Formats: sequence, C-alpha cells, structure tokens
Amino acid sequence: MSTTAVAEAATPGGSKEEQEALQASIFQRLHPRAYLERFLAEGFRPDGRALDAWREVSVNTGSISTADGSALVRLGNTTVVCGVKAEIAEPELDAGARGFLVPNLDLPAMCSPRFKPGPPSEDAQVLSDRLTEALTSSGVLPLESLCIHPGKAVWVLYVDATCINYDGNAFDATLLAMVAALKNTRLPVATYDETTRRTTCSRKEPRRPLELGRIPVSASFGIFDSNQVLADPTAFEEPLLDTTISVLLNEGSGELISVSQFGLGSASCDALGVCIAQARAQGKRARI
Amino acid sequence: MAQSGFDRRRINGPEESFAPLYEDEEAQDQWKVGRLRLGRNPDNIRPIFLQPGLIDQANGSAYIETGNTKIACAIYGPRQSKNVAFHDKGRLNVELKFTPFSCPKRRAPIRDAEDRSIAMAIHQAILPSVRLETLPKATIDIFITVIEADGIEGCIASGSIAASAALIDAGIEVFGLVASTSAAIVGDDVWLDPTHEEASNSKGTFVLSCMPALGTLTSLWQNGVITPTELITCMDTCEKQCAEMHAVVAQTLRETVTVS
Repeated sequence: MSTTAVAEAATPGGSKEEQEALQASIFQRLHPRAYLERFLAEGFRPDGRALDAWREVSVNTGSISTADGSALVRLGNTTVVCGVKAEIAEPELDAGARGFLVPNLDLPAMCSPRFKPGPPSEDAQVLSDRLTEALTSSGVLPLESLCIHPGKAVWVLYVDATCINYDGNAFDATLLAMVAALKNTRLPVATYDETTRRTTCSRKEPRRPLELGRIPVSASFGIFDSNQVLADPTAFEEPLLDTTISVLLNEGSGELISVSQFGLGSASCDALGVCIAQARAQGKRARI
Repeated sequence: MAQSGFDRRRINGPEESFAPLYEDEEAQDQWKVGRLRLGRNPDNIRPIFLQPGLIDQANGSAYIETGNTKIACAIYGPRQSKNVAFHDKGRLNVELKFTPFSCPKRRAPIRDAEDRSIAMAIHQAILPSVRLETLPKATIDIFITVIEADGIEGCIASGSIAASAALIDAGIEVFGLVASTSAAIVGDDVWLDPTHEEASNSKGTFVLSCMPALGTLTSLWQNGVITPTELITCMDTCEKQCAEMHAVVAQTLRETVTVS
C-alpha cells in the first residue's frame, strides 16, 4: 500500500503500536471503502460490532424543566435531545376538532463537520419530513385528543429535536426521542370561556398525560456492496452505503407500519426480508 | 407565540399560536424584592457539572450544567478559512443557538438579536486567551447550543467556561483557562450567579470573565444601575469566585483530557 510510506514519513518517532494506529487511521481517511471492505470480510465492522448488532441505546426523560415533555436519547455516540412545547391555537376551518403536531429536527453545525451553520440543510429537511410521515402514519397521537373546544381552541404540540452529536442513524434516534418526549408530556387542563372567548389553563388541577395510540419504533439498515446488510449504520458507514432501508414497526404488536428504501434497489439477496426479520428481533429486545 | 410567516424548509404549524394562559397565579410562595435569597446564600453559585469531550465528531467539546442551565459546546478547527483574504492571524467564530424549548416561552427557530449578543459576549470573553497569532489562515469555529436557559447572564458565564474548556479539549494553544462569573445587584446585596427571575428583579447585572492563572481580566459586561462602589465589590467577589472555579475546571480537564 502506498499509504504505508506516507505514514512512515509523517511519524519518524513513536512506538510501533502508535505507528500502526496512525497507519490505520490514514488508511481509513484515504480509502474508506477498502477499509470497510476488509473489516466486513472478517465479519466485523470498524467499531467492533457484528453486522447485525445494534449500538447501545439509552433514554433519559423529563430532564428539561422549560419543556412540557422532553427526552435525551443516545444511540451509541449519536445524541438527540427532544423537547415538546404546547401552545394554543385556533383550529383549521375544515377540521375544527383536530389539534396540531409539528415535529422538526435540527442538525446544527455543532453536531458534525458535515453540516454548515444557517437554515436547515437538505438532510435536516428530508429527515423532518420522514419523521412527520412516521408519526402521522402510525397514528401515535390522535389529533382529536388535542381538542380543547371544537372550532375555537386546540393544542399545538411543537416537537423540536436537536442533534448534539451526529454519528449516523439519526432517524431511529430522533424518532425514539420524539416518542419518548411525547410519552413524557403532561398538559395542563384547559377550558374555553364562551363569553370572554379566551382559553385559560388551571394550575390547581394536575397535568394530564397525552392519549397516545400506536407507538412506532424504527430500525434502519444499510446495504453495502449490494449483499451485506449493516444494522444501525454509523456516520462513517453511511456515505458508503448503496441503499438505506428503514422499517417502522408498532412497538406493542410488532406489526409493520411502513418500510422505506432510499438509494439503489438492486439488492442481490432478499434484503427486505432480512431487514424486517432483524427489525422485529430488535423491536422485541428494545421493549425489554 | 406568533410565527413569522411560512418557512417551506421546516414543518409548519398553524399561522398563529399562543403560550397557555393561566387563570390563577402560581400557587407557590413567590419571592419578592427585599426578602432573603431562596435556597442559597448571596455569594453561592449553583453547582457546576462540566464534562469535556462528549461530542466525538468535533475536535473538542464540553457540556456544562449549572442549576437548570444546560449548554453544549463544540469546536471545529483550526481549519482552513474559506472565501476570505489572507490573514496572518487566525479567526475565531462563535455561534450560539437556543433550542426552541430552552426558554419558558417557545423560541421560533430563527436567529434573533439575543443569540448574537450572547455569542459576542462569549467571543469577547475568550478571545484574549487564544493564541491566534500561531494559526495564520485558519479558522476556529465554536458552536454553542443552549439546551435549557435560566438567566442570560448565566448563559454568558457558563458558555464562556464551556468554550474555554472545549478549546483545551481540542488541543488549541491558549494563554490560560477562562473562568466567568455573573452577579446581580438585588437590594444592596451582590448575588452571584442569578437565575432568570432574580436577574429580572435586580437593579443591575454584571458578568466578569478572567484568566485567574495570569491574574488578568478578559471582559466585563455591565447592565442597569450599579454605583461605582457596588461595582468594585462586585468585581472582587466575582474574581474570587472565578479563582475557585478555575481550580475545579482545571482539575476536571486534567482528569479527562489526555495529552497526545
């Protein structure tokens, strides 16, 4: 390899182990594809996981006191914070009893060198859109349950997620954070006064949790070299993948809600079947 | 809160929505001007939790928590300056963002004047500590996200400490660690590290940033009505607090940052 010469030239000193580590990291930077291929040939991934293994998940809810509900999710090194803010608005004329659910994901410049400061990047827009689709299609929150007074006042739930550290698979992490924040949300009891036309809330009555319906969980996979299925891809693996498949399941029953695929469809193995089976297995593990 | 227009790059809610109104006042026994401080002594600060190196994608990072204030800071660089003429000194950019749920009222995700003024205050506080003359043609980007805010003064102080710790985590040469303390004049007393409520009930507020290792101040921010004598007392108390903080931050960095 020509990289060996580069590495040796760069480090005249240092122990043998250090030199080897440096050579490996230079190889990774210069030939990411070959680097990943060699790991996969041995049946492992660069972070030591097996191909179908998931990174560790941790969920911490209710730590933000200014939000009505909040969650912090870590999926390996990927970290997402999500906060729910409830506000009151007039409903749409054609749907007087339906509230609003407004999920947004922000990928700020701080979470990865890939992102630039400024308005939402294309990645953030696509992810926000997919998250909205996942939350609405699963019916996680019946919008009628957000009604305060038909035609006059409804709740608006702004579900804002911010990525703090982007190490791949932001979709799964964010969906988990959003659902956990919704589960953690407590709304005050609100009443609409016909005579004053004002909606007021009470501090005396205890806050109530949301009436959540089906809980969606998602599992994302990447397909490398059209035959290797990598579960829960990292930021290093993501740009090298041909295809990404996200399987959305109902947490309780394990039934499919949706399957989406991005990228080339020419998978030589039965990738979809493998992904769905692995997603079911992961869904069961996540519940315990 | 009213949303200003339709933004097709985000998922939009209704055109107008308002924070809930409460018919009854907060049931708790509220603090009033003239009473003793609730929960702590005037010269006590809220406990600080500092964790450097949480964001592995960044060159350096730090997360700080003081009471309810939660701030994450990441540093990218020194990297090549883009689209700028030659500089024999490096550039230091500070950008600060509030998450929409960080304040009692929802903040629409638009950059406003407050973001920039806090970013500028933090920039001023840490600028004298960085050896930019050793980094020609380079840019250091400091990105700060406020996850939860309790008092603007506290944000400036905690943000400066986090940024300085992250610079060291990134291995960027500095003259010294920057420590920062905020204070408010409530009645005739100096209250350190005021919360949002305490700061809004005060006569004036004050943020002092310094490099205790060198015994130099890097920035002072003062707002509202403060007499010269009060200001001097304020500076003395803040400086003492900064020296204590410096020892704690330096110890944390020694334990977590490995020299390579």
